[in-house]
Amino acid sequence: MHSSEGFLLGLSTGAVCLATCGPVLIPYLLAESNAVVKNFLEVGLFLSGRLVAYVLTGVITGIAGTLFLQNHVFQGFVPGIIDVILSLSLLAYAFFRFRHVCPGETSNQLAGRLGLHWPEAIPLLGGFASGLNFCPPFILAIAQASASGNIAGSVIYFVAFFAGTSLYFIPLPFIGFFRRKQSLTIIGKFAAIIAGLYFLYKGIFIIFH
Amino acid sequence: MKTTSLYSTSGKLWKSIALTLPMFLLTFVFITGGKPDFSSSSAIFSFVVTFIFFNTLFFLMLYTGKTDRFRAIGFIAMALFFALVFIVNLVKMRGSMSFSNENLLSCEIPFCHIVTTMIIIPIVLTKSIIFPGSILTGFASIASMLVIVIGISLALGRGFCSWGCFYGGWDDGTSRILRRPVIKNVNPNWRWFSFAFLLIIALSAAITLTPTYCSWFCPFKTVTEYEKITNFDTLMKTIVFVSLFLSLVIILPVLTRKRIQCGTFCPMGALMSFTNKINPFEVTIDKEKCNDCKKCIRTCPTFSMVEPGLSKGRPEITCMKCGKCIDECSQNAISYHIRGTPSGKAFTAARTLFLYPAFTLLVVFAGGNIQYGIVLLIRFFSTGSFM
Ligand code: SF4
Ligand code: SF4
Repeated sequence: MHSSEGFLLGLSTGAVCLATCGPVLIPYLLAESNAVVKNFLEVGLFLSGRLVAYVLTGVITGIAGTLFLQNHVFQGFVPGIIDVILSLSLLAYAFFRFRHVCPGETSNQLAGRLGLHWPEAIPLLGGFASGLNFCPPFILAIAQASASGNIAGSVIYFVAFFAGTSLYFIPLPFIGFFRRKQSLTIIGKFAAIIAGLYFLYKGIFIIFH
Repeated sequence: MKTTSLYSTSGKLWKSIALTLPMFLLTFVFITGGKPDFSSSSAIFSFVVTFIFFNTLFFLMLYTGKTDRFRAIGFIAMALFFALVFIVNLVKMRGSMSFSNENLLSCEIPFCHIVTTMIIIPIVLTKSIIFPGSILTGFASIASMLVIVIGISLALGRGFCSWGCFYGGWDDGTSRILRRPVIKNVNPNWRWFSFAFLLIIALSAAITLTPTYCSWFCPFKTVTEYEKITNFDTLMKTIVFVSLFLSLVIILPVLTRKRIQCGTFCPMGALMSFTNKINPFEVTIDKEKCNDCKKCIRTCPTFSMVEPGLSKGRPEITCMKCGKCIDECSQNAISYHIRGTPSGKAFTAARTLFLYPAFTLLVVFAGGNIQYGIVLLIRFFSTGSFM
């Protein structure tokens, strides 16, 4: 159930990830090649970079969880409070306009230099940087994963979260799909609201039990 | 001049009568289900009324050239009679509108088309159907509903939501109660909510292996069947069902004059939208004729006609092919169109070709229910009971 929750969270917010990081990846895909197979390879590398970032976060979160959430009081109460606060931030994130900047963008300069010698590194690096996007869904995932109280559980949660967000990147090699970016962002935000409400309900439920 | 206009009026009349004749046969077959029952005077009376009702609507569509106003009468009647017949049948079978755990365990729950949104992923992943209904037998079996949904999607796309769905008539009806909207300028982006909801519903059903929409969110439970209230959980569910029905199906459609439940909430509607791309019929706008008055945008009850669509020459994928914008456009710029044929031409032929399958769909879903519903009403007024 824990991992499926990660998957669900990833899926409900993945459209926003795509809308945020797509603009970094798309020009690259367009500039590099228009062959679908080649594009699949590039997207695969981008996603591998993301996976590495997520697994790393999962390990760190798991260690933090083992250190702080062994105590019984913490176990019952803190995850509930974290759920409530973060679900509220997820709701705020959905309701208000934030300018989303994909962290992959900042790696472009370095990537430019690297690209001369090792072109595969560019999408890999972009994926890694985009995986460390500290947006509310990502922070909510951290909170949820830490509640598992062990490293393996936390990593599994993040891998599931990764799987959920990544599904949206699969059609990317067929670039034309991305023309619907605006509606995708809106759908992602609505899904974030529904997910936020679910976590709010869950948080309140945990606190009062 | 006068002679010509008289001639054209009578020509139109005869043409409309001639085009209605095939519908006589279709309505006869689908109302009676191929087995006419003329055993009692009320059965004969109800058949005659239903037969005349449908054929008059179809004739008027052809004769006046207006679609939505006549479609809506049949569509709303379908929703009301479906609820009446469904509830009376349930009470006859089970003694109440609620179902118990025993009914669930013996797979006695009729399969409704909206469940399609939740069973696809579990079928692929676990090869099992997560709905407590019968696969082949009984009315509304899973297999028959799936075949119907796939067939309609291929033939009419999301036209199903304005011509075939036995729930859609509820908010179609309530959205027509006031002449002017009290709440104006609803953001059309709300139409994307149903897609987000579809995503969450499909996934939560796959994760929990239960039809989450039916268990927690279906507003139409209020007018069909619901779980017996035995604990806090079932009480909460009932509160959710009734509040969703009151807000999405009654209050908001009345205030906005929009089909809020169908246009912004129903996950099946979102799924059906994708099928709008793969069927022969579409609604198109002739940009040369359009004078940009934006009446169609204000009129469309499903938020499918938006500014970018006007400039593209077609509504959004959520269009339910109800024909309301076509009826309202004073420039005759909007029309039904058959994909692959030249646009702006054969306007009437494309409309007539669309009306046959769409109206037949309405008769298939509504015919039997309206006929039996009339029998029930006669029984009620003569004996004081539906039973
Ligand atoms: S949107 Fe849903 S409820 Fe409305 S008509 Fe379509 S399937 Fe029926
Ligand atoms: S665009 Fe026109 S035909 Fe389509 S749903 Fe809106 S009013 Fe009906």
